Amino acid sequence: MAKVDVRKKVLSANDRVAAENRRVFDDAGVFVLNIISSPGSGKTTLLETTLDRIAGKLVPVVIEGDVSTQRDLDRIVARGGRGVQINTGGGCHLSAKMVAGELRDLPLEGADVVFIENVGNLICPSTYDLGEDVRMVLLSTTEGDDKPMKYPTIFHESSLAVLNKIDLLQHLTYDVEKVEKEIRVLNPECAILRVSALRGDGMDDWIDWLAERVREKKGGSR
Amino acid sequence: MHELSICQSMISIVESTMKEHPGATLRRIFLDVGQGSTIEPTLLREAFAIITAGGPLEGVELAIRDIPITGRCRACGETFEYHEVALGCPACGSLDIVIDTGMELDIRELEIDD
Repeated sequence: MAKVDVRKKVLSANDRVAAENRRVFDDAGVFVLNIISSPGSGKTTLLETTLDRIAGKLVPVVIEGDVSTQRDLDRIVARGGRGVQINTGGGCHLSAKMVAGELRDLPLEGADVVFIENVGNLICPSTYDLGEDVRMVLLSTTEGDDKPMKYPTIFHESSLAVLNKIDLLQHLTYDVEKVEKEIRVLNPECAILRVSALRGDGMDDWIDWLAERVREKKGGSR
Repeated sequence: MHELSICQSMISIVESTMKEHPGATLRRIFLDVGQGSTIEPTLLREAFAIITAGGPLEGVELAIRDIPITGRCRACGETFEYHEVALGCPACGSLDIVIDTGMELDIRELEIDD
């Protein structure tokens, strides 16, 4: 009987591919956002409204991740966006390898920002690095105010939390201060924004945040 | 429920490690799984049994060390377990908390018969 020392992260192969993706994105000088939320919190709606608002100012590229259908990409294209749809065929998250497989077809030249809309799921995508600059969690008020402590990993791993459907607060028993406090406890460095992608509340702050990140990325690129 | 894809990543690390020990038989895989890693040890064992059935890794034991989520207050230095932190540091109430352990998903070592 003998012991063999391994000491490796189980996801080290994914992390390696993610680092290669990151190099491609860095070389192109594009800011990359990995957007994670449960199904129905408004990821695609946020992207639709965002595309409208940044039109003529920032050039976006969208990677849509879904178990099946091209519905999300169709919505993006209908708003004048460009991108690719990845269907995981049952897989509950995107992986760095799936994103790497699309890089050649991605119109990165002249692009400012890549939005990666992950598969709707608050658990599985949270530990898979895709090569993004920022991992962002989107949480909607209709999901209830107990979520950060129930799904701690995604809040710990994200540098931005966006609370969507904030226009519905008056109809809900949702303690937004409690949610923000729990997020801070899990991750003091996590920025928090309140928005309504549908009605427009808070969207200026979100667009400012995005434009600032794109500016930083351009400043730091070769 | 991504335990199957985690198992695949794990097996590829194990297989490449075993190549350095030709002729040896793998008995046990020692893993560190943090309670905040999003991996459920029971499901991981089930997935591993399904994915290795009928192959050379069938019957290999997963020895999982369950790592609790622990945090530390940057204001007063108090250390504590995660279930206590919902309202801030249990000692001083500060929200300036860092998580020290509980996010692990690592293969520590393998036990083999030469």
